[in-house]
Amino acid sequence: MSNSRITRRRLMGTAAAAGAATTFMGPWKFNSALAQSDRPIKIGFTSDASGQYANSGASDRRGMMMAIAEANGAGGALGRPIEYIHIDTETTPATGSRVAERMITREECGFLIGAVSSGVANAISQVAQRYGVIYLNTNSSSPSESGENCHRVKFVWDGNGANFAQAAIKNAIDAYGSDFLLLTNDYVWGHDTSAATRALIDQYGGEVIDEILIPQGTRDFSAALTSIQQKGPSIVAAAVGGDDLVALRQQVAQLGMGSSPAWINNQQDWPDIYGLPLDNLFGVFGTTWYYGLDLPGVAEFIGRYQAMYPETSMQVPGNVFYNGYMATRELLAAVERAGTTSNIAVIKELEGHQMSAADRMQHFDAWIDPVTHQVQQTVYLATANDAPMDDNDMFKILTQSPPDAVADTAAQGACKLESYEDTPTFDA
Amino acid sequence: MAALLPHMVNGLALGLLFALIALGFMLIVGVMEVINLAHGSLFALGAYFALSAIDGHWLASSDLTQWWLSIPLTARYVVALVVGPLLAAAAGMILELCLRPTYGKAPLYGLLLTFGAALVIEELIRVVWGTSGQNLPVPDAVNGAFLMGGVIFSKYRFFAAVFAAAAVGAVWLFLEKTPYGAIIKAGTHDSEMVRALGYDLTRLRLLVFGFGAALAGLAGIIMVPIWGLRPHVGIDVVIPAFLIIVLGGIGSFWGAVAASLLVGLAIGITGAYAPAWSLMSMYLLLIAVVGVRARGLLGRKSVLEN
Repeated sequence: MSNSRITRRRLMGTAAAAGAATTFMGPWKFNSALAQSDRPIKIGFTSDASGQYANSGASDRRGMMMAIAEANGAGGALGRPIEYIHIDTETTPATGSRVAERMITREECGFLIGAVSSGVANAISQVAQRYGVIYLNTNSSSPSESGENCHRVKFVWDGNGANFAQAAIKNAIDAYGSDFLLLTNDYVWGHDTSAATRALIDQYGGEVIDEILIPQGTRDFSAALTSIQQKGPSIVAAAVGGDDLVALRQQVAQLGMGSSPAWINNQQDWPDIYGLPLDNLFGVFGTTWYYGLDLPGVAEFIGRYQAMYPETSMQVPGNVFYNGYMATRELLAAVERAGTTSNIAVIKELEGHQMSAADRMQHFDAWIDPVTHQVQQTVYLATANDAPMDDNDMFKILTQSPPDAVADTAAQGACKLESYEDTPTFDA
Repeated sequence: MAALLPHMVNGLALGLLFALIALGFMLIVGVMEVINLAHGSLFALGAYFALSAIDGHWLASSDLTQWWLSIPLTARYVVALVVGPLLAAAAGMILELCLRPTYGKAPLYGLLLTFGAALVIEELIRVVWGTSGQNLPVPDAVNGAFLMGGVIFSKYRFFAAVFAAAAVGAVWLFLEKTPYGAIIKAGTHDSEMVRALGYDLTRLRLLVFGFGAALAGLAGIIMVPIWGLRPHVGIDVVIPAFLIIVLGGIGSFWGAVAASLLVGLAIGITGAYAPAWSLMSMYLLLIAVVGVRARGLLGRKSVLEN
């Protein structure tokens, strides 16, 4: 009898082994399919919890968390629950880089969201682009973020200094005069905003008589305010943010300089002014959203905020919360439309995406510029409200400008997005 | 020169405010040889205690609160100037009790503990008073502006500078003219000798830490109407305070005062002519002085120096 002969015993053993293997492999494949649909989508919150923008960072995070809570209440994205992790970026670019690196490589975050400081946002976006991870810059306002520092993976959710300057400068020259003094926070956002302001001043026939640089972390503005008095401009255009702006407002109010000269304060973030005396809110400033807008959906949005955050001292949300919420919500919607978490597919869903005014609770429709990846949206100019309905009603909206009237046209030429081929593929 | 004068006036006022900030830090470093990284948080805590003392929302009933708010702001502000530093002193004493296990060990232990305490205090402030910026009201008599030499100055800044000068003077009188002050001064020179003379070093350290914390809290009450009141406002204090005591000479009272005025003037004058360098100017001043004279302006000569 040959050893190669197929015996009944050998046949039965082979069949049993094949059956066992099939059974064994079957559940693996089945579990693998279950695991994909159960595996959470993990989002990294790259927001500040300390430093100059700690307060705004907290507001930014609350917006993101509310959007995620609502998405999870509706079944998540692609049937997958959404988780998040936050690490403090400390309003420091170097920390932002480290946090982004850790979130991607160790915490396995599929998306990154959040920034107030443009320096931090720029650092995070460079790391994100290296790995192909989509990054939403929710609240930083330097024109360079959608200009020379744009990236294929990065989307900029806030209006920038050029947008707000577009809305304000011509009106200011008509109303107050043509000689300007620039007060510039000495970092990327301040410089880029003042550069955009300067270009507009030149365009509309004004003149910049001087520029005073304010180092980040400045708390004493007596020298700058004395210099302003000595130089006597008609208008001061201030590109100063965060805690520096809080101190500036305090000291301008103490000197009674809020009405003369005229002040243009670029963007005023809600967390930086909420709860402070109305005297501190001098001049004209910009914002992308206000809780007092008489638009459909606003009251209900505020109600959801108050229900989720009954303990917070900020009784109503502002622009920073709004941007954090909208960015997160639109990201998850883009994932749903793409049907995948693959980065290139989601990026393509975001580029050119149209958002209705009603959906965004603004006056005009918005869209994501496919060339610069910045959200083109309504820009509001406001001043202190001299007839508030309640303690929260600090702003009086003066004008609302459609996106194309305040577009940052310089960014179109300055932004050079990486090609899809040069962007690493990444699947969350 | 006429254009420079207002900047010098502002610089001197700022210098006096820095002196108030640095004094408490200097006392603790001098007597206890502890670099108190929680100094900024105690500064903020004093201001928040003062806020509660003024607005009365901690009172048991709304009737009591309404009664308290009916008292003129000036009177409530004076109460805050006393209560705020006292409560900051109590917090400082608790911190000193926590520091005791680190005495005699490597200085890093004390540094780490006070750094941790700074974070804890800052977070406690957020929990109790919230994360948003707040406003510490000041009496109308010191609010507003006045014109001098064609330039508008803030009344409150001048009040704060005069108050700081008075506080510095009061601390000096205490140190020079009272027996307790003599013991503290002796402690800055030789704490072991003070113990050998029969004084309770443990109690001395507790009281000095409390005193230093009270001065930090007082500085906070005076400064936040200028800087704004936020939980992390103390971050702006620790580095300048440390720089000033090194510049002035460790343990030297008048060295700290002189250094404070120099730093204020440096920031004021560079703010006028090279604003981008205004914050850097104090570091450049430190390098210039310590590079030539390692013990600072009025510090004690080391045995290693010729």
